[in-house]
Amino acid sequence: MTDCQEGEGAKTPMELYERLSVQGDKVRSLKTAKAEKAEIDSAIQLLLKLKTDYKQVTGQDYKAGCPPSENMNVSDNGPAADGTGDEDSVDPWNVSTTNAKGVDYDKLIVRFGSTKIEKDLVDRIEKVSGQKPHRFLRRGIFFSHRDMHQVLDAYEKNKSFYLYTGRGPSSEAMHVGHLIPFIFTKWLQDVFDIPLVIQMTDDEKYLWKDLTLEECHRFTLENAKDIIACGFDVNKTFIFSDLEYMGASPEFYRNVVKIQKHVTFNQVKGIFGFTDSDCIGKICFPAIQAAPSFSNSFPQIFGGRKDVQCLIPCAIDQDPYFRMTRDVAPRIGYPKPALLHSTFFPALQGAQTKMSASDVNSSIFLTDTPKQIKNKVINKHAFSGGKDTVEEHRKYGGNPEVDVSFMYLTFFLEDDEQLEKIRQDYSSGAILTGELKKILIETLQPMIAQHQERRKQVNEEIVKQFMTPRPLNFNL
Amino acid sequence: MKALVGPDTHSSDGDGHGSEESGLCVKKMTDCQEGEGAKTPMELYERLSVQGDKVRSLKTAKAEKAEIDSAIQLLLKLKTDYKQVTGQDYKAGCPPSENMNVSDNGPAADGTGDEDSVDPWNVSTTNAKGVDYDKLIVRFGSTKIEKDLVDRIEKVSGQKPHRFLRRGIFFSHRDMHQVLDAYEKNKSFYLYTGRGPSSEAMHVGHLIPFIFTKWLQDVFDIPLVIQMTDDEKYLWKDLTLEECHRFTLENAKDIIACGFDVNKTFIFSDLEYMGASPEFYRNVVKIQKHVTFNQVKGIFGFTDSDCIGKICFPAIQAAPSFSNSFPQIFGGRKDVQCLIPCAIDQDPYFRMTRDVAPRIGYPKPALLHSTFFPALQGAQTKMSASDVNSSIFLTDTPKQIKNKINKHAFSGGKDTVEEHRKYGGNPEVDVSFMYLTFFLEDDEQLEKIRQDYSSGAILTGELKKILIETLQPMIAQHQERRKQVNEEIVKQFMTPRPLNFNL
Repeated sequence: MTDCQEGEGAKTPMELYERLSVQGDKVRSLKTAKAEKAEIDSAIQLLLKLKTDYKQVTGQDYKAGCPPSENMNVSDNGPAADGTGDEDSVDPWNVSTTNAKGVDYDKLIVRFGSTKIEKDLVDRIEKVSGQKPHRFLRRGIFFSHRDMHQVLDAYEKNKSFYLYTGRGPSSEAMHVGHLIPFIFTKWLQDVFDIPLVIQMTDDEKYLWKDLTLEECHRFTLENAKDIIACGFDVNKTFIFSDLEYMGASPEFYRNVVKIQKHVTFNQVKGIFGFTDSDCIGKICFPAIQAAPSFSNSFPQIFGGRKDVQCLIPCAIDQDPYFRMTRDVAPRIGYPKPALLHSTFFPALQGAQTKMSASDVNSSIFLTDTPKQIKNKVINKHAFSGGKDTVEEHRKYGGNPEVDVSFMYLTFFLEDDEQLEKIRQDYSSGAILTGELKKILIETLQPMIAQHQERRKQVNEEIVKQFMTPRPLNFNL
Repeated sequence: MKALVGPDTHSSDGDGHGSEESGLCVKKMTDCQEGEGAKTPMELYERLSVQGDKVRSLKTAKAEKAEIDSAIQLLLKLKTDYKQVTGQDYKAGCPPSENMNVSDNGPAADGTGDEDSVDPWNVSTTNAKGVDYDKLIVRFGSTKIEKDLVDRIEKVSGQKPHRFLRRGIFFSHRDMHQVLDAYEKNKSFYLYTGRGPSSEAMHVGHLIPFIFTKWLQDVFDIPLVIQMTDDEKYLWKDLTLEECHRFTLENAKDIIACGFDVNKTFIFSDLEYMGASPEFYRNVVKIQKHVTFNQVKGIFGFTDSDCIGKICFPAIQAAPSFSNSFPQIFGGRKDVQCLIPCAIDQDPYFRMTRDVAPRIGYPKPALLHSTFFPALQGAQTKMSASDVNSSIFLTDTPKQIKNKINKHAFSGGKDTVEEHRKYGGNPEVDVSFMYLTFFLEDDEQLEKIRQDYSSGAILTGELKKILIETLQPMIAQHQERRKQVNEEIVKQFMTPRPLNFNL
């Protein structure tokens, strides 16, 4: 999907679907409010036009509450999409694929209607920031965006922006995959010298999980320590728990209500798949994840300004929240947030598997000892792309594209040349799986140890400082 | 059908968002407690809704087979009960219909044309006398306030009962005996009522719950919280947040002018208090976790086209029923009994609240329901804030009051003086007499007027004169008191703070 703006850009199935949903609700309210016939008629005209477009693009009739199916023939994409067995399933609560290489991100970009981050954008980020681009950009780990060029345009004209990312504190246990958006966000904060807000969605976890409010809030404080240990600047960073901040900021709540007024159940049904059996808390939660995208949610930071551009680095599965946010923003007089999307962090068992905080062997946890790290990578857990015997491996080489250890090095090994050499040597069979794993272990052990060291330094005082609503130091 | 207006505790002035919500069929409900009391159709329906959701979640969560099976057994039993009582099959999302044969009520309910329609946004009836409250009590499953309860209130409070109780204006309740039981054992309670600030213009009907609540505060010496649902009005009306908040502050002045004790009263705007109280928000989230869309669909008639703000709003009107929403007042205690005086059209919010309360470990709030305040044009007519002649506004001058009563108050008199002297007038449909029922304190005087009007001894014009002479000083005094309420005083009432009382 692209955003639901009239006449703007290509219309993907999802975008048309969501625009039809909004327009359908609009026609219904005009009729109920007994508006002028001319106004109703023109709204109906637009609705009919959208329905025609939808049918043309998808080959299906529009039906409210039924988002475009996986198997549609998308005419502007050439041949029919793959058969059912090969779809990737991506939403904020579930990510799954049948492909060992992981989700097909190019297809996802088309389906969601975002834009691939090409070399020209990476070069431009380098130019505007004056810094070598982060390895995540160089290696396509942050691979997709919305409106990043506009953010850079404005920055060049001295119109700055702020960062917004978040964490759903469903448990105390955080793993290395959780750090990816924070590592990247810290880099952005440093090179652009901009403020950052981090939302801890303890209310969301309470609504979705079998946890008490106290537990969710406790996880929030524990997770905050790990986040702070990534090295954020306390003078430019505000971390907040929904449960605390909602009850401390009338401006935040006002924005939540504004958003809730302009999003219907049909829309969230279409975007998130909610049903009539869902509790009303889940149904209205998306507005809470949307609200930090608007700068007047943080009057203590932005002085009541509502027009400060927001940039959201997040994993691609969070995009539905922000498609909804971008659709609502112009209707309530706010600028749309821009986005940078990252790929998923593969589970140790392989890239089709979703990493799970409850499965200790599915990832490297931030609390793991050097020994545990070694065991997890070596013993059975890290999926290997190598051949079954040394002879075969020497002959045919390994497959770095499905090898989880190699994938992890892509995330964590800074040196491009070294990484490339490893890729070549592994593909040729020059190095064995065991050697590859050794390199990974030796990369991860110090990284985790240093994280634990920094985390030890984060006491309750420091957490409180980060989590207190206050002005931040920056130039806007 | 033409609509009535309610005294509008939390609801709109009655010109509400009207037609987009279909006037809900009147429902018959008791609380949704297992094994508790008679099971009315609506109660069964709502219990089935909760149980159906429970079975679905157990299955999704892949719970133990034994657990799923026993939940299914209960579901099937409830479905059988439902069919037995209503003669219809249970269907999710379809509350019991109007025309069902309710077997334990004898003959079939009245035909479609005679139903009263009552929900928080719409009240309408075809009957000139107004809504049939006895039928409504049966349908909602509340309990009529009989003489014995009024006598008991007198005994426990040590005061003559308020005229609203004496005259059946507060006519229905839930759990009031329990409240009195606890009070007698020195376990006190607090009051909770509210207003939906949809406009600056308040009329005399809006004051009814506040007049009664003040009386309760005085005779029982208890704290009171008053919720101003500015967020609700923003969600339902074509208003800005600023307008809704402004109406809140203006309406608060009229409410304060009713004479509440500043040391025992907390008035709060949702927009302000939500952003000032993590405990309030926590309770809202707790309630929202335990109420499904199916349930609010059944209770309030929400649909898929409704915005998500409306769908989750009921939890916000529920939250003040729980004392730990106000830690500054109750020190974090969650077990203080709550009593909610409100118009009967607000009952759906609190049926939902009473259903949720035990599931989240809180006591159920008790309720006292009032009848609706008739529009000048007659008890079937919809009172409207945009029609200045449909009621007496708190800003009306003595002259305006006189004109409105004389010109617009629906008369139960006969067409000619001769006929009136011969046959008498009908006080039951005469709006001026109805207003006197609300505002004339002296029972004997009121009864004499009733008799004289019924016999034709007094004419409509004389009746109206009595009303005018009752209303003019009342409104003038209100305006005088309101003038004394400055921004400081409003701020004082609206600041979260401890209150003085004994609990």
